[in-house]
Amino acid sequence: MKPPSAVEPSAAKGIAYLRGAPLMAFALIYTIVSGGPFLWVAMMSLRTTPEIFASPYALPSSIHWEKFVDAWTKSNYGTYFWNSTIVVVTAVALLTVIGAMVAHCLARYRFRGNRLVRFVILSGMILPPQLMILSLFQILLEYHLYNTLTGLIIVYVAGHLAITVYILEGFFAQIPQDLFDAARLDGYSDLEIFWRITLPIGVPALFTTVTLNFIILWNEFLYAVVLLTEDDKRTLPLGIMHFMGNHQLDVGMVATGLMIAIGPVILLYAFFSETMIRGMTAGAVR
Amino acid sequence: MARVAITELSKLYDGGGEPAVKDLSLTVGNGEFMVLLGPSGCGKSSVLRMIAGLEPITSGKIAIDGEIVNEIPAKDRDIAMVFQSYALYPHMDVFNNLAFGLRRRGIAKTEIERRVQGAASKLGLLPFLKRKPHALSGGQRQRVALGRAIVREPKVFLFDEPLSNLDAALRVSMRNELIRQQREMGITAIYVTHDQVEAMTMGHRICIMNKGEVIQIGKPLEVYRNPANTFVARFLGNPPMNLVPTSVEPDGGAYQLRVGGMSLPTDCWPAETLSRLGGKALLGIRPEDLYETAQRPDERRRIAIARAHVIAVEPLGAETLIILSLEGAAEEVTMRSGRETRLRPGDNATIELDLAAAHLFDPKTAQVIPPVHEEREARWAKAE
Repeated sequence: MKPPSAVEPSAAKGIAYLRGAPLMAFALIYTIVSGGPFLWVAMMSLRTTPEIFASPYALPSSIHWEKFVDAWTKSNYGTYFWNSTIVVVTAVALLTVIGAMVAHCLARYRFRGNRLVRFVILSGMILPPQLMILSLFQILLEYHLYNTLTGLIIVYVAGHLAITVYILEGFFAQIPQDLFDAARLDGYSDLEIFWRITLPIGVPALFTTVTLNFIILWNEFLYAVVLLTEDDKRTLPLGIMHFMGNHQLDVGMVATGLMIAIGPVILLYAFFSETMIRGMTAGAVR
Repeated sequence: MARVAITELSKLYDGGGEPAVKDLSLTVGNGEFMVLLGPSGCGKSSVLRMIAGLEPITSGKIAIDGEIVNEIPAKDRDIAMVFQSYALYPHMDVFNNLAFGLRRRGIAKTEIERRVQGAASKLGLLPFLKRKPHALSGGQRQRVALGRAIVREPKVFLFDEPLSNLDAALRVSMRNELIRQQREMGITAIYVTHDQVEAMTMGHRICIMNKGEVIQIGKPLEVYRNPANTFVARFLGNPPMNLVPTSVEPDGGAYQLRVGGMSLPTDCWPAETLSRLGGKALLGIRPEDLYETAQRPDERRRIAIARAHVIAVEPLGAETLIILSLEGAAEEVTMRSGRETRLRPGDNATIELDLAAAHLFDPKTAQVIPPVHEEREARWAKAE
């Protein structure tokens, strides 16, 4: 005999599906809204501009892979890509090391002015870039860093330190103090403890900041457009603008340029998205 | 091996308030196992952390083998510590956890290998050397933490409540393991706990602390039998010592104690001291020094008889605890009795007090009144 409250297994499943339906519908709409434009650009990148003007939403009738070669060779895309790579990889590397050190200090040491330092660093998050662009322009001019990749790297590191420290500190603060004490008794100095304990344990959080910073900086436009004006210094997002000026909005080439620019970000996200999410949500040490 | 001498050590944490440790002086001999015992927040862990160098010293001195280490950083003190949380490095496997401290000291690879293998085989960790800490059970993690201290062959072992995260059965076996390792290696050890069973079974000596101060230092049984004050009397022993308020009344040239309707002789204590008590004292008697009539061993001679009312009977399996109220007295006392007791709640019973094992405390100072010792010492000598 069944207990009176028991529900048929199939009926229970049905109820579970029904409960999940609104969520599924939301996920579906979200996917269409965010994935649709990407697919559209991807399709346009393989079509010529006249084809696109003739029928904007059509599937490619013949696939024009040569557009990627054209974008790379005929315009300055190789240089832009290389510039972006230098700037972003250097900035992300510096951000990771400096940010981790700052976060380690704030999370681990009690020193006079600890709170003030944290406040000053983290307040960088609330300042919009537009607010600082003029003064940054002036400063870089004075230090002969205007129109240099070094200048842009410094600006990127300074601008993203706050969010990097914020994410890393939250994670590092959860690493139990006993681990640091144990390492000290094992004979290690503070710097060695940072390299051998904090960094390896903090890997999930480091992946998060590396991925996040990489994606944001790779797509960064505002600082780049103001601080770099020479063509051979430009980064990829500026390169795309190039197609708009010189070719009277060559939509097809803009789409191709966008696909080239977006490639590394998609690759990175595909490999590290899970680690990144884990780093944002999980505790440091189980 | 090392001798640790602590002189007038004090610790005041930022934010002021009462000092966590007050003028503590303590010497731990070569190869000695010293237990710091006290309730939570009594400052025992602070003492341990100051010895380790993890906490700055407010005042006082700590010397290891005669060398004052106050200003020597933790990493250079050659001390190993086992933490309550084990503090295993989560990103390293067991082998690397054990080898981490050795690598820093520039020990040759083959020697590291030998020591790690040695410690792992002693502690039964050989099958787990390639595992990460999260894949180990609580007992295995504890062993790794102990192994990490052992491989270092340090001057001093420090233990900060290392067994309190283990279940009861594992705690007993790890306790024995720990004692065995320490005795075998002969390394000076300082062990912090709030568990009196650990203190009684592990330590060569116990240092009992309360509110940042040392209350009493001595061998476990010494401290148990001769508590210096009511704090120690109540803290050591489970159930704790019964403390019954009594009045001290002159009786001819001597004094007698009155508890409810019962009069007790006072020839265990010097009359001169009793005269200064102002008529009041606390009679301390352990539950095992109360007997149901006819259950007392024959050699107990200094007996007082009391009438009591049974309030509750708590059978614990191997023994039975009987909660009684003494006739004419308000306080309840606990008596430890055998497995087979005929007493039931509500009964009136006649019980016997072993006066030779009783203590008298000054209620104003809470300090013990030193007894006239001969008879008590003789009996304990016989028992040992």
